Amino acid sequence: MHEQSLISNLIEKIQQLADNEGARVVGAKLRLGALAHISAPHLREHFEQATFGTSLEGLQLEIEELTDIHHAEAQDIILENLQFEASDGQ
Amino acid sequence: MAGKSKTIKVDYLARVEGEGALYIRYDDHGVHEVQLKIFEPPRFFEAFLRGRDYTEAPDITARICGICPVAYQMSALHAMENALGLVPTEPLRNLRRLLYCGEWIESHMLHISMLHAPDFLGYPNAVAMAKDHPEVVQRALEIKKTGNALVRLLGGREVHPINVRVGGFYRVPGLESFQALRPQLLEAHTLAELMTRWAAGLPFPHCEQSYECVALSNPSEYPMNEGRIVSNRGLDISVKDYEKHFREQQVPHSTALHSLLIERGAYLVGPMARYNLSYPQLSGEVRSLAEALGFRAPCNNPFKSIVVRCLEVLYALEEALRLIDTFQPPDEPYLAVEPREASGCAATEAPRGLLYHRYAMNEQGKITFAKIVAPTSQNQKTIEDDLRLMLPKFMHLPEQQLQGLCERAIRNYDPCISCSTHFLQLHLQHEPKRIS
Ligand SMILES: [Zn+2]
Repeated sequence: MHEQSLISNLIEKIQQLADNEGARVVGAKLRLGALAHISAPHLREHFEQATFGTSLEGLQLEIEELTDIHHAEAQDIILENLQFEASDGQ
Repeated sequence: MAGKSKTIKVDYLARVEGEGALYIRYDDHGVHEVQLKIFEPPRFFEAFLRGRDYTEAPDITARICGICPVAYQMSALHAMENALGLVPTEPLRNLRRLLYCGEWIESHMLHISMLHAPDFLGYPNAVAMAKDHPEVVQRALEIKKTGNALVRLLGGREVHPINVRVGGFYRVPGLESFQALRPQLLEAHTLAELMTRWAAGLPFPHCEQSYECVALSNPSEYPMNEGRIVSNRGLDISVKDYEKHFREQQVPHSTALHSLLIERGAYLVGPMARYNLSYPQLSGEVRSLAEALGFRAPCNNPFKSIVVRCLEVLYALEEALRLIDTFQPPDEPYLAVEPREASGCAATEAPRGLLYHRYAMNEQGKITFAKIVAPTSQNQKTIEDDLRLMLPKFMHLPEQQLQGLCERAIRNYDPCISCSTHFLQLHLQHEPKRIS
């Protein structure tokens, strides 16, 4: 349930930024803290499952795994950036 | 077709928030009501399972939780096998026990080091604790890695294992890959002993409760995959009578159902319940350490469950070594079976407590009914009771301190709810004095 809340929180944020931008998101980069209790493949799988059939389906997820347990955000997942495809209606 | 792409920088923290809420109603005479609200996904999965193939249940239910996927798989497997009259051979049974050892180690270490330990040492989280006590976090991660290695070996990968199937395993690794884990297990064992000694020396709040402890039990081994359901107050039933004795109750304040012992009420499942009921089945080595540290069963202080978890990790490491040393390759990786109209149930000991599954399938093997009772819902009433007993002494504290204390009490129980209640919302309702 831990990951379900994390993922829905993340997806909500991406969705909201996509709406603001008015463009299609094609990629996202995440930083995964060393103590985030979730591995990159695990996170990726949940993400794919949660976005299946939505407008975010197929989004390229880049996950950087951090190893420093002393990092201030070691227990968190950080959404670093989003890549958009400029949609011009074509 | 592809337009110009652009990247925007975000730097947004995804966190778990708002899934746990605690309501306390009190007045000058005392605490009148404590309601813990938690979000529990098994309910959604029960509906989702209907219409799926019986062979899919272990993999689907494994996704309910990333901390205890093996537990869901094991209960689902055994329930399906119970329905189809399949009895796993001794070598297959041992391999499952070995896999379960891996999950106990992983889940307990996560709970001990990331959630429980910072509370005792007075840190807001593991990151802050790691600054001053890096050895605690490093040691825990090292031990946890050994659990990961066991789950990876038999489950095919670390999370959401995929090598497990009704009747056995898709593939059984060769003898040498088991032997290769020995040095790592021995090293982890040394670290786990240090960890246990360290945990036993922590300052524990005084909090002796009187629980009805419920766990699987069998005469010859510490319980994991099977046994009768017993309690310290005389309950002794077979798993198929579970629903005759335990009732789930819808409570308006939570999406999780409360599970109660009929006519008796709240009960405790989890490491402390297992420990108190099956202490004699632990290895001699674990028991002598427990005795040397003054932690012989029974243990009825929920804050001391951190030590019980350490002792169970030590036991799981010893048990894994024993299973590896006596490993006999099974004749077949799995037993084949044809589906038929049937129903069955099973309970296993998830790291955080008894996990009950019941299924029915039609003659094509499609699931027509699924029921899952997770440890969270079984302990929920007990957690509320703990809080109700503990709170009157602390209601005068500033709200932030009170919240920290409540979070601590909840974290004694379950890593799976702990992460959803790490950012507990506290709602205090002070009732004005009534003049009659
Ligand atoms: Zn779990």
